[in-house]
Amino acid sequence: MMMPRKLRAFWIRLLGMIGARRNDDDFAAELESHVEMHTEDGIRAGLSPAEARRQALICLGGREQTRQAYRERRTLPWLETLWQDIRFGLRILCKNPGYTAVAVLTLALGIGANTAVFTVAEAALLRSWPAKEPGRLARLISTTPQGEEDSFSYPDYRDLAGQSRSLQGILAYTRRVKTLRVEAESQAVRDDVVSPNYFSVLGIDAQLGRTFSAESQPDSEPGVVISDSLWHRVFNADPSLVGKQIWLTGRGYTVLGIAPPGFRGLARGVPTDLWLPVATEYANKELADRKSREFEVLGRLWPGVTAAEVKVELDTLGRRLALAYPAIDKARNVVLISERERLREAMVPTLILMTGVGLVLLICCANVAGLVLVRAEARRKEVAMRLALGVGRLRLMRQLLTESLLLASLGAALGLLLAAGLLRLAPALMPPSEVEFGLDLHLDASVLAFTAAAALLSVLVFGLAPAIQLSKTSLVSALKGEETGAARSVRRWTMRNALVLGEIALSLVLLTASGLVVRSLLFSRSLPLGFDRQRQLIFFDLDPGIVGYNSERSANFFNQVEEKAAALPGVRHATMARRVLLSDSGGGMTQRVSIPGVELPQGQLSVPIKLDAVDGNYFRSVGTRLIAGREFTSGDNPLAGRVVIVSQTMAERFWPGQEVLGRQIVADGTACQIVGVVEDAKINSIHETPEPYMYFPFVQMPSEEGTLIVEAESNPHALTTRMLSEIQRVDRNVPVSVRTVDYLMQQAFWADQMAAGFVAALGLLGIFLGAIELYGVVAFTVNRRSREIGIRMALGAERRDILRLVLGQGLTLAAIGAGIGLVASLAAMRLLSTMLYGVRPTDPLTFAGSSTLVILVALAASWIPARRAASIDPMQSLRTE
Amino acid sequence: MGEKSDVWQGTLALMALRTLESMGPLHGYGLARRIEQISGDRLQLNYGTLYPALLKLEQEGFIRSRWGLSDNNRRAKYYELTKAGQRQVKKAAAEWEQTTAILACFLTPAEEA
Repeated sequence: MMMPRKLRAFWIRLLGMIGARRNDDDFAAELESHVEMHTEDGIRAGLSPAEARRQALICLGGREQTRQAYRERRTLPWLETLWQDIRFGLRILCKNPGYTAVAVLTLALGIGANTAVFTVAEAALLRSWPAKEPGRLARLISTTPQGEEDSFSYPDYRDLAGQSRSLQGILAYTRRVKTLRVEAESQAVRDDVVSPNYFSVLGIDAQLGRTFSAESQPDSEPGVVISDSLWHRVFNADPSLVGKQIWLTGRGYTVLGIAPPGFRGLARGVPTDLWLPVATEYANKELADRKSREFEVLGRLWPGVTAAEVKVELDTLGRRLALAYPAIDKARNVVLISERERLREAMVPTLILMTGVGLVLLICCANVAGLVLVRAEARRKEVAMRLALGVGRLRLMRQLLTESLLLASLGAALGLLLAAGLLRLAPALMPPSEVEFGLDLHLDASVLAFTAAAALLSVLVFGLAPAIQLSKTSLVSALKGEETGAARSVRRWTMRNALVLGEIALSLVLLTASGLVVRSLLFSRSLPLGFDRQRQLIFFDLDPGIVGYNSERSANFFNQVEEKAAALPGVRHATMARRVLLSDSGGGMTQRVSIPGVELPQGQLSVPIKLDAVDGNYFRSVGTRLIAGREFTSGDNPLAGRVVIVSQTMAERFWPGQEVLGRQIVADGTACQIVGVVEDAKINSIHETPEPYMYFPFVQMPSEEGTLIVEAESNPHALTTRMLSEIQRVDRNVPVSVRTVDYLMQQAFWADQMAAGFVAALGLLGIFLGAIELYGVVAFTVNRRSREIGIRMALGAERRDILRLVLGQGLTLAAIGAGIGLVASLAAMRLLSTMLYGVRPTDPLTFAGSSTLVILVALAASWIPARRAASIDPMQSLRTE
Repeated sequence: MGEKSDVWQGTLALMALRTLESMGPLHGYGLARRIEQISGDRLQLNYGTLYPALLKLEQEGFIRSRWGLSDNNRRAKYYELTKAGQRQVKKAAAEWEQTTAILACFLTPAEEA
């Protein structure tokens, strides 16, 4: 029979489940009319009315059976049973909201963590190239005796692309960062410089406009393809942008097209904002330089060609290159990494990740199994009663599994929400940076499938054993209230005890670690930075060199900008500096310095010292304390004698215990007189040890780049906008980018904060799971021992004694676990010592705190079953005999 | 009463369809009696099994039903073939004939021997 017929029947049966009552009546009427007609025929044949009706019913084969058969055909019986099971399960779950909430939350944590990690693994490792038919794309690398190299020189790439017959196309790209200026503000963007066939080899077309023309007919003017993300972020998805000019690092480019949504370039985790063709970005001489290996190369296989065939050809081509250019390409070979090989390589880290987080899910499942067992114990009588009433064991098992499945589904749903939340958080977890970082994370079909599989798997882990166990309930003994399977439960009991001890010990280790890391973070936050982080400092990085300014014009430009800034209302200080403290570039400049009259280590003539060039009011503006001498003044101009201000550490290193002011150092062949000493400031990172540092007058050190530092009285946002338009008024072409002191702080503390957050989250997860497991074990024993407790109470034990008995069990377990955890912590924390500042890895306060927390949580977890045990009515628990 | 055969699995639907095709609209009881008559009273038909079979045919769209009045002015539910049902009778009959023909090839020589 045709499928649509079956489908149609299925639908009707599905719909038949609605309005079942009316349909039943309808069929009853039909049957009645059938029986009556049959009876009439019988009477006509000479039977008595009663006999005729009896015969009619016999022929029908029983009215109820017929109605049942009819009903089963009309609806979907299995669906009805399932629905019944689900409703029953939901009722059971609703009746025990505490149990349900804890079980669902536990599963949600496990499943959510797995989903989130899988999403990351999928995006970072497993996902194929963002291209059409990605299976035919493969990366080309070169092997040298020193190891593998990802990059090729452009001439090598060209030779490969020109000579390969087994590859349909080969593309090359290199990644850079450029400055995009839109109106007044500049921002850093990632650009890929690509071979002209980049988009065509990938099989990607612009969603608007076009991509690059073929190499044979290069574009006449510089053109750029921009990403969908940049188009939305910066240009408000303006469709008229195509054909217009945008300014990139001081040069105008025509926007040729917009890349399709979701296309972020070929590097995972580093999204590309725009693409430029090599022709406009590199001079021909640069592109002919076989020594500079800058380009990553990807090839597309012809359909039907195997990777092995391509490898053979590339091997030949590689040898040819090595022969032709022995000085450069000697012993270098070209190798293809096929999609299958790439995936195989990606599998290892994926498996490691998933095993780790899978263990968490396993522990969650074990905990939920513990809870389910507690529930199962309490339900033994109900189950026995249902068995006695004739419910099949299989049906019963199905019912119990349905309950577990419900728990898992709720857990999976909540876990999915949790994962979505975590993924939302992901960008905030990335290090603060001027260019965007981050994987393209989203919950797609494969992730949903993974979550469903994880949920089903957890049902098998936590639901199956209790379901089998419970459906094996022996009728008689359960109804009589006897304990069964004692030997079996003893074995599980010890295993569960071990699990509890392990979880408590682990959570103590994690909590101790998080305590230490948080204390270290607090200490770091209180460290003096050498400037005042409370001030509303705004940093405008100016780069007039990019638009062709020489140092003289630049100095003039800086001067004008600084004057404009100082004149703005709401500005407390405005100053210029070459480098910004506590940023990547803070120590970017060093100069070799010789110091007359001071013996340098190892008899060297000069030492490299980091430096900055600042304005006179710089120290006052950022809040660096002047220890001795004076700041720079207007007298320290280019024509005057060279002066320098040194850091405290520099003063103490070279002139310990001596007068420093007035001494000389020789930098760059010029003698400079020390006029001041300032406190040490953090240059690159919070945790660096202070090193010698020196400041020169900004005007005595000509440069084409500099940073205007403005201290706002209030509302830095409004001031930023006004300042930007002021800078624009001086010269609208000079790129500007803005940073705030908050941003610098975020960047500086990012790693510490991440570590603290991560370890603390693990610690909390650990203690949560440990508490649940402990609760499960204690509650299980309370159920098992309810008769014993009843007897004790009957023999005169007070409620207090029972409370103590049960709490004692929980606390004993917790204390042993905590003891193990303390010993483990002492060993493990030593590993942390390089990460800790201002706190010893054996900090007694932290150890005491984490132990106390663990014991308190254990107390709370045992308290619930202990209360229940204490409220046992001895009469009732003994009457079940 | 002579020896009666049980109705083979799956053949009841074809019998019902075929009967409806030749007789036009019938109610369940009439259909059951008619099937028995056509078989020459050789079939032992459990009338109750007819109704789920009819329901299945209706769900599959081969027949439709409506309430009507019988010859004795009694309310009864009448079944009749749909267009799809008429096509299905032809198709199923052809399939069945082919099956029996094949089967016959195996059975006939044995009788001759």
